[in-house]
Amino acid sequence: MIRCLLVAGLLVLGQPGTAVAGQQTTTPIEHFVVMMQSNHSFDSYFGTYPGADGIPADVCMPHSTDNLSADRCVKPFRLGDQSPSDLDHRPATQRAQYNDGKMNGFVEAFRKNGRDGTNTMGYYDGADLPYYWNIADRFTLFDKFFSSALTGSRLNHFYWVAGVPTPTGGEEVPPGGYGDIPTIFDRLRERGLPWKFYVEHYDPKGAGEATKVPLLNFQRFRNDPELASRIVDLSEYDRDLSAGTLPAVAYVVTSGSSENPPSRIQAGQSLVRNMTSELARSRYWSNSAFLLTYDGWGGFYDHVAPPKVDEHGYGFRVPALLMSAYSRRGHVDHTQVDYTSVLKFVEDNWKLAPLGSRDAASANLFSAFDFTSPPRPPELLDITRQPVVSTGRAWLVVYLSYAFALLAAATCVVVPIAVRRRNR
Amino acid sequence: MTRFGSRSPVAVEEDSTATVAVPRKQFRPGPILVMIVILAVATGLRVWALGAIGLNSDEAVYAGQAASLAGDDTLSSLFPIFRAHPLLFQTVLSVGFLGGVSDVGARLLSVGFGLGTIIVVYLLGFRLYGRKAGLVAASILAVMPYHVIVTRQVLLDGPLTFFAVLTFYCVARFCLERSARWLYSAAAVLGLAVLTKEIAVILLLAVVAFFLLRHDVRVSARQILVGAGITLVIAAAYPVSLLFSGRIGTGQNYLLWQLFRRPNHSLAFYGVEMPAAVGPAVLVLAVGGLWFLRRQHSWRETLLLCWVLLPLGFFEVWPVKGYQYLLPAAPALVLLAARAITRTSFSWRHLRTALIAVVLLSLAVPSWLAVNPAPSATYLAGSGGVPAGREAGRWIKDNLPLGGNVMTLGPTMANLVRFYGNRKAYALSVSTNPLRRNPSYEPIDNPDRQLREGGFSYVVWDAYSASRTPFFSEQLMGYVEKYHGIALHTETLNISGVSTPVIIVYEVRP
Repeated sequence: MIRCLLVAGLLVLGQPGTAVAGQQTTTPIEHFVVMMQSNHSFDSYFGTYPGADGIPADVCMPHSTDNLSADRCVKPFRLGDQSPSDLDHRPATQRAQYNDGKMNGFVEAFRKNGRDGTNTMGYYDGADLPYYWNIADRFTLFDKFFSSALTGSRLNHFYWVAGVPTPTGGEEVPPGGYGDIPTIFDRLRERGLPWKFYVEHYDPKGAGEATKVPLLNFQRFRNDPELASRIVDLSEYDRDLSAGTLPAVAYVVTSGSSENPPSRIQAGQSLVRNMTSELARSRYWSNSAFLLTYDGWGGFYDHVAPPKVDEHGYGFRVPALLMSAYSRRGHVDHTQVDYTSVLKFVEDNWKLAPLGSRDAASANLFSAFDFTSPPRPPELLDITRQPVVSTGRAWLVVYLSYAFALLAAATCVVVPIAVRRRNR
Repeated sequence: MTRFGSRSPVAVEEDSTATVAVPRKQFRPGPILVMIVILAVATGLRVWALGAIGLNSDEAVYAGQAASLAGDDTLSSLFPIFRAHPLLFQTVLSVGFLGGVSDVGARLLSVGFGLGTIIVVYLLGFRLYGRKAGLVAASILAVMPYHVIVTRQVLLDGPLTFFAVLTFYCVARFCLERSARWLYSAAAVLGLAVLTKEIAVILLLAVVAFFLLRHDVRVSARQILVGAGITLVIAAAYPVSLLFSGRIGTGQNYLLWQLFRRPNHSLAFYGVEMPAAVGPAVLVLAVGGLWFLRRQHSWRETLLLCWVLLPLGFFEVWPVKGYQYLLPAAPALVLLAARAITRTSFSWRHLRTALIAVVLLSLAVPSWLAVNPAPSATYLAGSGGVPAGREAGRWIKDNLPLGGNVMTLGPTMANLVRFYGNRKAYALSVSTNPLRRNPSYEPIDNPDRQLREGGFSYVVWDAYSASRTPFFSEQLMGYVEKYHGIALHTETLNISGVSTPVIIVYEVRP
C-alpha cells in the first residue's frame, strides 16, 4: 500500500505542468519565457541606443553598389510613428544587401527590382520604442544576436525549436511534416519538465500558425493529445501566472500583436509590457527570465556583417532583450549569440542533451545574467520614455544661495552685538 | 510693578525717546533654572511619541524636497527640489539628511526651532515687560497646543515663527536702544523669515504699520532704505536660486494659483479653530489685559497688536486658510497674556500664581491630549499625520514592484506613497483644469484609459481623503470594481473598539 502511494505520488510529481523544476536547474532560473516577434533588424530598433553597436555615424546607403556616389545614397532616418509596408526579405534580397559582407546593398536590393528601397534605412528610437528602450536601460540588451538562418521565417523558427535547419534546408515543409527530428520540447518532456507553446489568438484547427509554430508541422505534436495540449492560446499565460502553473520553458509567438510591418510596433510593445508586468507581479519574478527576440531582419538595414558559421547562417542581427531578476542592469551584452543560444541556455540550465551541432557550440546567454548577486526586486517599467530626472546643479545653486543668505543675516545680527561689547 | 523687573530694561526706558542704559549683567540662577524646567517640559511635549504617526502630506513634501537636495537617488525622482515655497528650512534639513533620510529626524529639526522660539519669546518678554513676564510667556508658549502641535511637524510655520519672534525681538531692541544696528538685524532676520516661507512679507507690513502708527519711535528714511535693502538682498536667495536653476516660473505659478483659487475654508475657520488651539484663557488674558491696562499702553502693545492683527487680517482675506498659518502671531498673544498676568495688581498675593497655574494647566492638558490622540480616520489637515499612511507606504515599498504606478484618491496619500512607498503616485481628485489645481500636482488626464492600458497597476483608497472627497471615493471604487481590483493590503485602526479599515491597497489589471 505504501509502495503504491509512493509510486502514485511520484507519478503526480512527474506530470508535465507541475512546477517541480526546483532543484533541477543549474541556475536560479526555473522558468524561461521566450517570445519571438517578427521582422526587424537590430539597427532598426536599437541603432541609436547609447552604448550599443549601432548605426555608424557617417553611413549613407548607395542607390547602386556600382556607383558609390555621395549624392545618390540614403541616410538612416527616423520612422517615428510610421509603419512602412512589409519590406522584401527573400533570400535574393538578403544576398544583395549582404553583398559579400560589404553590407552596402540594402537600398540597391530594392531598386534593382524597381522598388524605392528608402524605407530599409528607416529606424525607430527611444521615443518610438519607449518600453523596449526602458527594458534596455534597466535590464539587458544583446547587440550581437544574429538570426540563425540567412533568411526565411520557417527556417529561423525551426532553428529556434530544433537547433538544426529544416529537412529541406528552406521554407518548404516535407509532405509528412518534419518527421522525428527532436525539438527542445522533446528533451524537456523526456525529463518530465513542463513546457508550453503560447500562441496569440490560437486556433487549433487553423493552419495559419504553422510558420511561427513549427511544432504544428510535426505529426506527433498534432496527433498526440498530451503534446497538442501544450500548444495553447496566449490567454493561458496570465492564468498560469496566477494559478502557479507557469511551465519551466515557455515559447510565445504573436499574431494580432505582431510587429511585422506594416503592423504597428506599439501593439507588440503593449503585449510585451503586459506579459512582463504580469511576470513581475507574479510569484515567478525571482526565478524566471523573459527573452524577447525577432525571427528575422525583415529587410531593414543592419550594419554588422553576420559571421558565416555554416551554409545557412548566420543571418543579420535582430533585436533581443532579456528581463530577469538576475539580468545585468543596463547592460549591453556583446556576446555572439543566435536562436540556438536559447536552446543552449535551456540545455545547460536543465542539463539536457544538445539537439545539433549549432546549439552544442553556441553561447548559452549566461553572460547576460549575474547569478552571483541576489535577485533584483520586481520592476514595472513605463510605457513612456521618461527623461532622466536630474537635479543638475540645482542643489548647488540652492546651497550657495541660501548659505550666502544665512551668512549675510548672521553678519547683520552678530556685528551689532560684537560692536556693543567692544564699546563696553 | 517693577519689583519683578527692577533690573530689566523696562525700568530704564520709560521715556521712549531716551537713550537706554543697559543693565549690567549679573548671574541669577533662578530664572535660568525656571527656563530649564520650561524647556524640559516643552521638549517633553514636543518629542513625546514623535514618530507614532507618520508624516502628513505637507511634511512629506518638505522632507522629500530636503532629500532631493541631499541627493537621495530615489526621492529626487519623486520630489522636485523646487515646488511652492522658498527652501531655507528644507536646505537646513537636507544637511541632516546627508546621513540618511528620517521622518523623526526631520521632525526633531522642527522641534529645535520650536524650542528656539520659546527662548526668544522669553528674551523678548524680558525686554518688553521684565523677566517674570518673559518667563510666563515662555511657559505659556511651551505648553500651548497650537505651538506644540505645529512644531512637532515638518512644516515651515514653526521655523517661520522662530524668525518672526526674532525679528520682533530686534525691532523691540531698536525701540529700546535706538540703535540702527538692531533695525538692520531685524531686516536681516526678516529676510530669513521670507526665505522660510514667502508669506513672511506680512510681517514686514506689520513692522511698517507699527512705525507708521508710533510717531514716538522715529526711523529715518535712510534707515528704512538700508533695512529694506538688507531684507531684499537676503530674500533674493529664493528668486536667484530659481533663476539659476531655470525654474523661475515655479514660484510665479504657485503665487498666481494661490491668488485666484477657490477658498478652501470658510471665513469662520480661524474663529472656530484658533481659540482651542491658542487657548481660550490666553485670548481672554491678552484682550482683557489690553483693556484693563489701557492706561499703560505704549509702543510695546502697538508692536504686538500689529504683529497679531496684520497676519490675522491677511489670512482672513486670503482665500487659503491653513491651520498652522497664524502660528507666527501666537507669540504676540502669549506676550500680551503674560503682560496681563504680570502687570495686573491682585489683592490676594497668591492669585497671580494661581492664575498662572490655571492658564498653564488649561493649555498643558489639551496639549497632552493632542500628542496622544485617540485613533481617528479623519484628522484635520496640518494638525497631524495621516493615520497609518506611513505603514501603508512602507508596505508598498516592500511589496509592490518597482516602477508600479499608484492611483490614489487625493494628493495627500499620493505624497505619502511617494515618500514612504517610493512609487510614483497620482491623485484622482487633482483637477485637470490648471486653474483649479495646485501647480505642484500632476493630474491624471484620463484615469479610465490609463487603467485600461496598464498605466496604473495599483489603486489606494484611504479614509482620510474619502471623508473629504466622497465623490472621488465613489469614482475610485468604481474603477477598482471595473478593473478587477484585488485588495492586497489593508491598514486598520481600532476606532472606538471597532477595527476600521483606513487604507486599502488594490491591485488592478485590465
